[in-house]
Amino acid sequence: MIEKLPSATEQQVNYVRIDEDKCNGCVLCMKVCPTKAIRVRDNHKAVIVGVCIDCGECVKVCPRGAVEPIINLTSDFEEAPYKVVSPSTAIYAQFGPDVMPNDVLLALKKMGFDYVHDQSYTSEMFNVAIELYVKENHEHGHSPWPLISPVCPVVVRLIRYRYPSLLKHLPPLATPREIVAREAKKRLSQKHGCSQDVIKVIHVTPCAAKMICIREPFFLERSYLDAAVGISSIHEEIIRNLKDLEEDTVLHHSGGIGLGWGMSGGEIAGLHMNCLAVSGLSETIKYLEQIEMGLLTDIEYVEFRMCTEGCIGGPLTVVDKYRAKHRLQTLVRLFGAERRVKYEYVKNLYDKGWFLAEREVEGFPSERSARDIKAEIRRRNQIEKILEHLPRKECGLCGSPDCETFAEDVVDGRSSLDKCVFLDAKGKEKGLQ
Amino acid sequence: MQSLTKTFRVQPRDFVKAGEASLKIQRLLKDIGFDPTLIRRVAVCAYESEMNVVMYGGEGKILLEVSAEKISVITDDDGPGIEDIEKALQEGYSTAPPEYREMGFGAGMGLPNIKKNADLFEIRSGKGDGTTLVMSFEVRQ
Repeated sequence: MIEKLPSATEQQVNYVRIDEDKCNGCVLCMKVCPTKAIRVRDNHKAVIVGVCIDCGECVKVCPRGAVEPIINLTSDFEEAPYKVVSPSTAIYAQFGPDVMPNDVLLALKKMGFDYVHDQSYTSEMFNVAIELYVKENHEHGHSPWPLISPVCPVVVRLIRYRYPSLLKHLPPLATPREIVAREAKKRLSQKHGCSQDVIKVIHVTPCAAKMICIREPFFLERSYLDAAVGISSIHEEIIRNLKDLEEDTVLHHSGGIGLGWGMSGGEIAGLHMNCLAVSGLSETIKYLEQIEMGLLTDIEYVEFRMCTEGCIGGPLTVVDKYRAKHRLQTLVRLFGAERRVKYEYVKNLYDKGWFLAEREVEGFPSERSARDIKAEIRRRNQIEKILEHLPRKECGLCGSPDCETFAEDVVDGRSSLDKCVFLDAKGKEKGLQ
Repeated sequence: MQSLTKTFRVQPRDFVKAGEASLKIQRLLKDIGFDPTLIRRVAVCAYESEMNVVMYGGEGKILLEVSAEKISVITDDDGPGIEDIEKALQEGYSTAPPEYREMGFGAGMGLPNIKKNADLFEIRSGKGDGTTLVMSFEVRQ
């Protein structure tokens, strides 16, 4: 599904939409939401009430297909004089054993794009930039250890929303997808002698979360990407285009390291340092909390991916993540587990600020920080008191994701104790005191 | 003065659940909205003391008391106790067996780390008497 992006002025924008006709009011999406942003209301439909970080967990878990990611193709993209497509490296895992990365890029181009730009080579360059930054950081100590990969947009959004004290751990570098788009615009505007504004870049994405970076780019004033489309929406067309590829242009230049970026551990595979890779929602949260506690300081770099097994586990992919992983591992072996970028060349660009972010990442202004501590302690006490009377069955039948959140909802006036099916009348009376 | 108290159980030798109590404390303090630096200091102390109970202590609990002026963490267990407290407070001193060291613990930094991070720190222990750590933190507005 291709949709127009919600306008930037809309305050509360969600990146998923719940189809009321398909939703039967089960509790699955509500329970899986990491920010506890979903409630099931009296009409037995799930609604989004809180901050969505666009992790896509609700999309994956819904058995009825009622939760749909909102994907954007801005209307002015079609009319742009120069259309560039730049796919996530996860795309190379979505086809059979005979389909090489270059074939995928050629087939993509046949969909009506003027140019196609690969990301795997830039990803290898990014690896070098990380190594250089880590080396520098040992000297200037600008960022606390461990550094956290700024690549997965959901992880960055999660940090901004729930772990703002970890923002300092993000190295201030622009992501490969943005660098690709930036350079494409720069080069093509010179080539055609036109303004960069008439060159539009669309990103082919494994997750709806890339919309976030286009609408709210975190290290940039403005995203260099103009639109995004899910891999799953154009997969069939790419397969059709793979037949009779006539062109023999070489569009893919990376080694195996750049090709492996789509899987968990792929980003750090090319790093010569003390690093680790963590994927999946609950593990990511666990490790972020550990870093927040001051642990893991012996590690230099952590690659986080919100989707299990990395981008190949994204909700907009076609091939199952384990088959996709197998495919990428095969490609890595085939192309050699090494970088093809020249270190000196990248270092030169790095020194010129080629990778540098344009601005710092900020946390989300939260309504909570405005409250005073005393009032918050009072609120917490009320919550604890209600919790004492709750059954702790964590069933979600009340319409809140768990007993604790239900108690919070009651205290905040968003729900009432009579919604709990297990609480007897006496308990309700006591809890309300 | 309104305060909030909460008790967390700590099971000795349970390395799967180890650290969970301190995580809950960290989450709760964050939810209330304390300064992140203060939260980190409390969390570090809670974690170090929790790990001490898990590794060396007996049946234990952590008592958290929170007000707008002060946060205190009291970790208490009925384990074998500490024979020589002064030695235990020295950096690098540890009685950890090799298997704990293999897991990355037992560097002898636990108690010194707590001492460094807490505003007030008191330790009560003796051979066979269990151990009680009292750690408190001022909340500066």
